[in-house]
Amino acid sequence: MKIDLKKLRNIGISAHIDSGKTTLTERILFYCKKIHRIHEVRGKDGVGATMDSMELEKERGITIASAATNVEWDGFSINIIDTPGHVDFTIEVERSLRVLDGAILVLCSVGGVQSQSYTVDRQLKRYKVPNLAFINKCDRIGANPYKVKDQLVEELGRNAVLMQIPIGLEVDHKGVVDLIQMKALYFDGPSGEIVRIENIPSGLRDEAESRREEMLEAVSMFSEELMEAIFEARVTDNLICEAVRRGTLSNGLTPVFMGSAYRNKGIQPLLDAVVKYLPDPSEVENFAIDHDHGEKEVKLVADPDADSVALAFKLEEGKYGQLTYIRIYQGSLKKGDVLTNTRSQRNLKVGRLIRMHADSMADIEEASAGDIVALFGIECASGDTFVKPGLNYAMTSIYVPDPVISLALTPVDNKASDNMAKALQRFTREDPTFRIYVDPELNQTLIQGMGELHLDVYVERMKREYKVEVETGAPQVAYRETIGQSAEFDYIHKKQTGGAGQFGRVSGLIEPMDLGNYEFVDAVKGGNIPREFIPACDRGFQAALKKGALIGFPVVGIRVTLKDGQSHPVDSSDVAFRTASKEAFKQAYWKAKPHILEPIMKVSVEGPSEFAGNIFSSINQRRGIIVSSVEDGTFARVDAEVPLSEMFGYSTTLRSLTQGKAEFTMEFLKYGKLPTNISEDLMAKFDEKKRKKHSK
Amino acid sequence: MIKADLIKRSPLRILEKSIRGGLGTGNIGVLASRKGVGKTACLVHIATDKLFQNKPVIHVSYASRVDYIINWYEDIFKEIAKKRELERAIEVHDEIIKNRVIMNFKQDAAKTEQILKSLETMIQFGQFAAHTLIVDGYDFSLGSPEDLQKFRDFANRMGTEVWFSASLRGDEPLFDEQGVPLVLLRYLDEIAVLITLGFKEEFVRLSLAKCHECLSLGVLPLKLDPQSLLIAKDI
Repeated sequence: MKIDLKKLRNIGISAHIDSGKTTLTERILFYCKKIHRIHEVRGKDGVGATMDSMELEKERGITIASAATNVEWDGFSINIIDTPGHVDFTIEVERSLRVLDGAILVLCSVGGVQSQSYTVDRQLKRYKVPNLAFINKCDRIGANPYKVKDQLVEELGRNAVLMQIPIGLEVDHKGVVDLIQMKALYFDGPSGEIVRIENIPSGLRDEAESRREEMLEAVSMFSEELMEAIFEARVTDNLICEAVRRGTLSNGLTPVFMGSAYRNKGIQPLLDAVVKYLPDPSEVENFAIDHDHGEKEVKLVADPDADSVALAFKLEEGKYGQLTYIRIYQGSLKKGDVLTNTRSQRNLKVGRLIRMHADSMADIEEASAGDIVALFGIECASGDTFVKPGLNYAMTSIYVPDPVISLALTPVDNKASDNMAKALQRFTREDPTFRIYVDPELNQTLIQGMGELHLDVYVERMKREYKVEVETGAPQVAYRETIGQSAEFDYIHKKQTGGAGQFGRVSGLIEPMDLGNYEFVDAVKGGNIPREFIPACDRGFQAALKKGALIGFPVVGIRVTLKDGQSHPVDSSDVAFRTASKEAFKQAYWKAKPHILEPIMKVSVEGPSEFAGNIFSSINQRRGIIVSSVEDGTFARVDAEVPLSEMFGYSTTLRSLTQGKAEFTMEFLKYGKLPTNISEDLMAKFDEKKRKKHSK
Repeated sequence: MIKADLIKRSPLRILEKSIRGGLGTGNIGVLASRKGVGKTACLVHIATDKLFQNKPVIHVSYASRVDYIINWYEDIFKEIAKKRELERAIEVHDEIIKNRVIMNFKQDAAKTEQILKSLETMIQFGQFAAHTLIVDGYDFSLGSPEDLQKFRDFANRMGTEVWFSASLRGDEPLFDEQGVPLVLLRYLDEIAVLITLGFKEEFVRLSLAKCHECLSLGVLPLKLDPQSLLIAKDI
């Protein structure tokens, strides 16, 4: 079955944790008749919302993996990616955003724009994803969708426009007024499945009129036709919808909808808006890199008859093997088709092609450009590109940040050791920000990731899914070393006693560099170092950078300029120059004011303003710098820069300092200089370790 | 140029000299002009000059987005660094911003008592010994002299000085015959130094309307550089 592209939507639901995103998804599935009963996130029925497919997520009430599901609404096919809300899993969000064409930004009508909304907002902007806003929880005490809309404008700089106003708030929340049709919408039936359209209640008439004026004024900026129609008083619903769509697609407008997913209010109009205002796959430009033509960018066309190009954006290990979620960007896929994995250059055969609905699935025969489907039993890694054999396209690499924290794992017994290896192998394939590293000196397995919670979740998953019991060490920060000034080197490596000799001399300069980790400049004149040995010198310096002399962490921000040298007609070799370079670096390093860098996190704490003092002092005690504090009535948000090493256990501290009323998010910001006293401690420990090793 | 020379050669030394060595602890200074003339740039330049001297600054703003304010600081720093060819600019930048905190209050929710309470919390619990407070966006047409009195008491107690901006709106005349903005007349007792910004012969120039007890001291030898928006010597 080929799908009419115009009738296809790929959307994500992005939100702050606890803004009710999973509940909203659950309701969407229900109204689209994908599920027959509604379960709550922290459900009493022990089933949990359908989109949280992993057991752990069900327990913690959070959504980690982005399960994709397909629904039908009003003749449209909608693929929904349920994106995780926590910053620690940002790579998941980013990868999901890459395959989306549009998004719903969910906000809580009480909490409004919160720290995580900023992260999500930035991500949506980075990938230029057109989106709608849905202000949820209008039934909660303190609900104020007007305030949230203002925050969208003031704090996120969006051109947010109300498309609806609420009929009653808090316990009186009954429905919404649609400002295009100028009708009141109520949601009847046991699960709000019957939409009753009435006249606007008289008390809301004036408010609705003035909000409609506001909406028309903002929306008409995107359509001259509408603007003229307003002047001539012949505005039609269609004209408004077209203008809203144009504004949304150009990312110039954020239409705002509202309701309460929990109370079954406002969901159907939101679905209408998704099909009306968000783009179909043909309206979004996607590019691939052509490896056969000098990495040239090629625009992909959402044409089912073109050569196939698809991206694997998510892997999931299910009961029956590995499931690979793919987005098809160009061409079509049929059962039995042969595709090439661009990374491994291996061919694969499309076996089962599946359309997913959270925990259940349906086999399909064929899928075409624009669609999101899943493949069964394909060997690949997340982020791989599949193409028609003969093509050599790769979807633009997805930005993957370096891990900032690591944790040592020790399996309790041999059986656990085997299973741990299996689990880790799978996790690294699923999540590129999660890495494994085996320390050859300590013979210890380290896992690396983006934050404490990130690693915790994988340790938990190992226990649950692979029955692996492991002991974990203290979290270890990924330090770096760098230099403070330039220094010269001139080193001769000579070994000419008996047997084959070794000779190489290198001289030049190392200097600090702001951007990038390493740069090698070859400025050797007159062939003093023969051409063929230059790459060996480069490799020698790189080898020296892997382990700094201060505390054994990688050295970054170094430019090496090789100026001169000397060779021997017989004794010079690659090895000799590599060794000479490695030693030359060590020689210069100590003269170049080396120091240690530590990861600094951007931390955002949010809570009632009465706790601001506690929040300030907690940041202060952690060597943090308060960048700003924003107060809005009773709420305060504090943005700070805090070293990662000081953030361990912060959630517990913060909870006890604020009676559990504050929360925080953090993400990696930059590497900053470590204070001298702490550096000295670390260096002393490193020396101690080295001494012990030698004495063994 | 190194940081020490940059401080010494800053045009703000001229301003300090003109106002008898500076604003001084417990005092309130006001920069007044119509919107869009360059008040915020001036305030940020004054704040940045303090930061160069390792004096901590709290920047209080109303309803302006924090990233806008940060951008102002970034721009002013960049302009100064460029103009003076500051050595090790990135290092200096990273070092001085540690002494800056931005506190943003939503206008409708912000009562002076609440703001001062929050400032005190920051100074005490954040252990941030502010030398200067910058208050940008206070609405003098809606405020009261009591508010300023409270700020003054606070500044005295905390050992800080306070610079305000005042936006002048409405039809001419905006000033009385002594060059004092009409909207500020009722506040005059609370204000130690009052500087107005206005176009005079192509440039935005700074005039001293009040300096401690004296009024109407005329145009200062300072102007705003139209490109960088930095306060500059008016030669």
